[in-house]
Amino acid sequence: MFIGAIGCEPLQLRRVHLENSRWLDVYRRNGGYEAIKKVLDTMSPDDVINEMKKSALRGRGGAGFPTGMKWSFVPKDSPKAKYVVCNADESEPGTFKDRYLMERDPHMLIEGILIAAYALGAKTNYIYTRGEYKYLIDIMDVALDEARAAGLLGNKILGSDFSCEIYTHTGAGAYICGEETALLSSLEGMRGHPRMKPPFPAISGLYASPTVVNNVETLTAVPDIIKMGGEAYQKLGTEKSGGTKLWAVSGHVNQPGVYELPMGYDDMEKFIMEDCGGIANGKQLKAVIPGGSSVYIMRADQIIGKDVRMDYEGLVAGGSMVGSGGFIVMDETVDIFESTKNLTEFYKHESCGWCTPCREGTDWLVKIFKRIENGGGRPEDAQLLLDICDNIEGKSFCPLGDAAAWPIQSAVKRFPEDFEKHLVNNSRGESKHKGELL
Amino acid sequence: MSTELVKVTINAKDFQVPKGARLIDVCRENQFDIPSFCYYADLALQASCRMCLVRIEKMPKLQTSCTIICTDGMVVTTQSEEIEKARRSMLEFLLANHPLDCPVCDRGGECELQELTFDWGNLEERFIEQKNARAEKYLSPMVANDPQRCILCKRCTRVCDEWMGEDAIEAGNRGANTVIGTYGGWLNCSQCGNCIEVCPTGTLLDGTYRHQARPWELTQTISTCTYCSDGCQMSLGSRGDELMRIVARDRYVNGLNGEFLCIKGRFGHPFVNHEERIRTPLIRYQKGGRLVPATWDEAIRFTAQKLDGIVAARGNNSLAVVGSPRLTNEALYCLRKFAAEVVETENYAVADAFSLKPFFESLGGPLATHQDIRHAKTIVLIGGEPEELQPLTAKQIRQAVRNGGAKLILINSVPIRLREQAAQFIHIRPGTENAAALALAGNADDALAARKMGVEAAELEILRQTISETQGDVVLMFGGELSAEAQAVVAQMPYTFAGEGRRILLHPLALFNNSVGALDLDVNGKSVSDLLDAAGVSIHAMYMAGSLLPEHMPKCGLSKLDFLVVQELFETETTAFADVVFPAASFAEIDGTFTNNDGFVQRVRKSIEPVHQSKPDWLIVSELAKELGVDFGFERSASAVFREIAERIPAYADLRYPLLKDESHPLQVKHAIASKRELAKEIAGIRRAVAELSDDGVKVSETPQVGHELFKLGTLTDKVPQFHLLAAGNPTPASFAISPLYQITIDEGIKREKAVA
Repeated sequence: MFIGAIGCEPLQLRRVHLENSRWLDVYRRNGGYEAIKKVLDTMSPDDVINEMKKSALRGRGGAGFPTGMKWSFVPKDSPKAKYVVCNADESEPGTFKDRYLMERDPHMLIEGILIAAYALGAKTNYIYTRGEYKYLIDIMDVALDEARAAGLLGNKILGSDFSCEIYTHTGAGAYICGEETALLSSLEGMRGHPRMKPPFPAISGLYASPTVVNNVETLTAVPDIIKMGGEAYQKLGTEKSGGTKLWAVSGHVNQPGVYELPMGYDDMEKFIMEDCGGIANGKQLKAVIPGGSSVYIMRADQIIGKDVRMDYEGLVAGGSMVGSGGFIVMDETVDIFESTKNLTEFYKHESCGWCTPCREGTDWLVKIFKRIENGGGRPEDAQLLLDICDNIEGKSFCPLGDAAAWPIQSAVKRFPEDFEKHLVNNSRGESKHKGELL
Repeated sequence: MSTELVKVTINAKDFQVPKGARLIDVCRENQFDIPSFCYYADLALQASCRMCLVRIEKMPKLQTSCTIICTDGMVVTTQSEEIEKARRSMLEFLLANHPLDCPVCDRGGECELQELTFDWGNLEERFIEQKNARAEKYLSPMVANDPQRCILCKRCTRVCDEWMGEDAIEAGNRGANTVIGTYGGWLNCSQCGNCIEVCPTGTLLDGTYRHQARPWELTQTISTCTYCSDGCQMSLGSRGDELMRIVARDRYVNGLNGEFLCIKGRFGHPFVNHEERIRTPLIRYQKGGRLVPATWDEAIRFTAQKLDGIVAARGNNSLAVVGSPRLTNEALYCLRKFAAEVVETENYAVADAFSLKPFFESLGGPLATHQDIRHAKTIVLIGGEPEELQPLTAKQIRQAVRNGGAKLILINSVPIRLREQAAQFIHIRPGTENAAALALAGNADDALAARKMGVEAAELEILRQTISETQGDVVLMFGGELSAEAQAVVAQMPYTFAGEGRRILLHPLALFNNSVGALDLDVNGKSVSDLLDAAGVSIHAMYMAGSLLPEHMPKCGLSKLDFLVVQELFETETTAFADVVFPAASFAEIDGTFTNNDGFVQRVRKSIEPVHQSKPDWLIVSELAKELGVDFGFERSASAVFREIAERIPAYADLRYPLLKDESHPLQVKHAIASKRELAKEIAGIRRAVAELSDDGVKVSETPQVGHELFKLGTLTDKVPQFHLLAAGNPTPASFAISPLYQITIDEGIKREKAVA
């Protein structure tokens, strides 16, 4: 498995290969905690936020919202406590970049949170990991203890007037708790249900106080932005998508792994065929889900020879999204009907049940997939699947509904042949229908 | 909501609406139909049913109109192909796993899902898959549950939490497996049944009425509850001569309580058609003999002769007339009139648990309505336990705190459940409630009051400071613990604390449905204990409408009377002493009015004909008066009685039945406001009484169990079999599939304590 940078100097992955990279002294010897010192010594909270804005860093959790902008929404004059919450729930299928950052470079995350807390005036901060990442909590707790002992956390950090504390907290294994408002509910000890927006967390988040929720990868980018300056960081990437991005590559490639690419990396075909070592076992590329399971699936012919640029704008132009950077490659042996059914079952299982379309829609979709799989497919089912997805999309309480609808919509439209063979053939493989499917 | 207006365009029409108005309300007020299930006024927003989607210009997706606050220039579309498709699809989703067997569902005919399906359902069902099946079950003796009909609007869990503060039901599991359930399988709560009321489908059902009638067979009669002083408005569903159920569903009734009822109001009605109702007049011809059925003519004549004889032999004042605070104003008025004008006795009393007379005599400001309580900014509660005795008041307090940000200050010797909502809990020693009146009156006696109450003097300072710093309404409430002097001091508090931007409203927590009305009509009334003490001494005959309270019974002296007449529904400890018993009609069988603790005069309406040979209390008295030579002239019209009340009682002036017909706009009695007066005498009296209290009483540290008062078996609730299970601690039955009544034998074996109220 490959872990490293392609097309740029490793930034986020700079230390992951060092021996004992998770220990404080290794981190410090390699430039660690210099950024927070620079911040405390020379920068005001506004300076930090300005640097963040200049960096054009976009949230790495999936939505890609500009981080500096998010930070600037926190009201400065609010008498309430403010919180920085690190979203380490990383539950998007196909995504496993945050775990490497936390496992191998936990202090980078701590430093990022410290800088965010300084910029926002937060005294109490949380790292919320998914339930399955229990071992990461142990690693983080050790790192936090180290930092505390070294005066990097707690009272009067590095002798300055700035004090803050970071706590770890684990979820109980629900996908929905990766959604920021559901995460906050869960963190407060309640059922992990999403909350109404507005008010957005920046105004009323954790304990109804101004809160910034950022992904691990977003926060770990902060120390480098401070050190090299926002402008320099932005220049690593494109004008609208600054910096570098981690891609968690899995599936039928010869060399899966965590790849750090500059934003705007050209192009996806080269990335798959050269950087990732090409398709395993000499097979042909069939499909790619580039940004975690919730984004549109791409056909090979949308990639091969299409020069798809790997950044937010480029992927949208190419017919999908960056999402969380969970890059799933599928070869010709994959039945897209089967893989879509698998994902739909995931969304049904993870639907929190709060709103009608997501709860009932995903349940219905799975029932249809199962019926089709058992030979009960009807030609009209393709249209039915699309219509149900249309009725879920944009009408659910939180984005989970959209996330459930998009993979099916794109799969049915882009791989009609894989659906066709299930829908028009009965269980004995005989054709029931001759004609247009869609 | 401010008075500032903003312009909103809905379907190309412009409207000026108050800034801060909610879009769904604005649309509905202007006759644009917006369907919804989860939106419920004054509950936390849910936005989960997604039925109320509308299109708002400049917003990328359809928006739930329940979550949108109108802003200036907002352009809204509520009707379009896109919106219709969205609504139809939501309904299709909701019906996917919902059984389509309305004819076997108790809610069929008054089901919101059924109604919206008529409006938004598709003709064809595309869902051909297997539905998720879940078994029907009981959650408690009162609440039946058919989980697969649930559409997860969570009104039930929200009322349970926000109205009742109990959080007894909650959603369990996840996604399509989500079910509304209880903690531990069996519902241990106050059994108010509000979850049943607000359920838009047949998921939560009245376990006592299950499969007994269809909604369209019932005649709905709007009436007032006969239990506590809150005076909830309810709809009595009757079929023929049988009262089948009671609901507060807003399609039938819109009273001060909304859709709220408590366990007694909702489930406490089976006494009406109970087989033990007294069927005919009864006469005991000889002391020690049996009560023998008699005709009305015979019983009236017999009673008249006996009363005549006693009055002739012993004088008018040898006869006492005693009313009950459960009777209508009309009945109490006729009783008083009977005492004053027919037998001409000075001995008239109402058998209430405590008298609010000193309070009303010193009343220095308006009474708080339940609406006022909901919107109050500070609520001070001295003594009492509204969760158990005035549940609607408790709900209003809870919502004022939870949804309105009010501060609740609790002064109680017991950590009652409302303590969870209290900003300040002044935990006092039992019996020291009167010291709170001292503290309200000023800081002069703080040291004494604090010592006797067992609290810090600073707590009393905070109490006064909170009241005097409030912007908005302050509601002062008190229970039956206050002495006459303390009541007078509290009643005068508006003069002490009212100020710019601050009203002081008073809310006495009377115990019975017509305690306040009984007091209004009771000019020169006496104390019932004094009359009972005089039994056999100066009083030799009594005429009672309703029985005595249990606390009056031990040394009631009824056995020393020569002659006792009782009007009653059931044979009670009081009728055991009676020489004549008249069968009285229950609240469901009569017309009349009750006056609640807001001072609202509310109509009681006849739902069914009087059972057996019973008659309204006021009519029995009138007929007896006629036999004794005085014709009240009311004929058979309760309205005529009320007209005379309005003419004779100043506080009721100008009120008429037609003015009282709209239960959503109740009218308040015009209680006389006493002028500000010197309280030195009262304060000195309280000080003396407080000084005599012990310094080391032990505080009660345990929060009383839910239902410790509500579940007690009184004469009426005793007739509801389910109450016996609750009084016995609501034991968990072996199976949830059938009613616990069929599984648990109600006998001495399950009683946990003496369950007689």
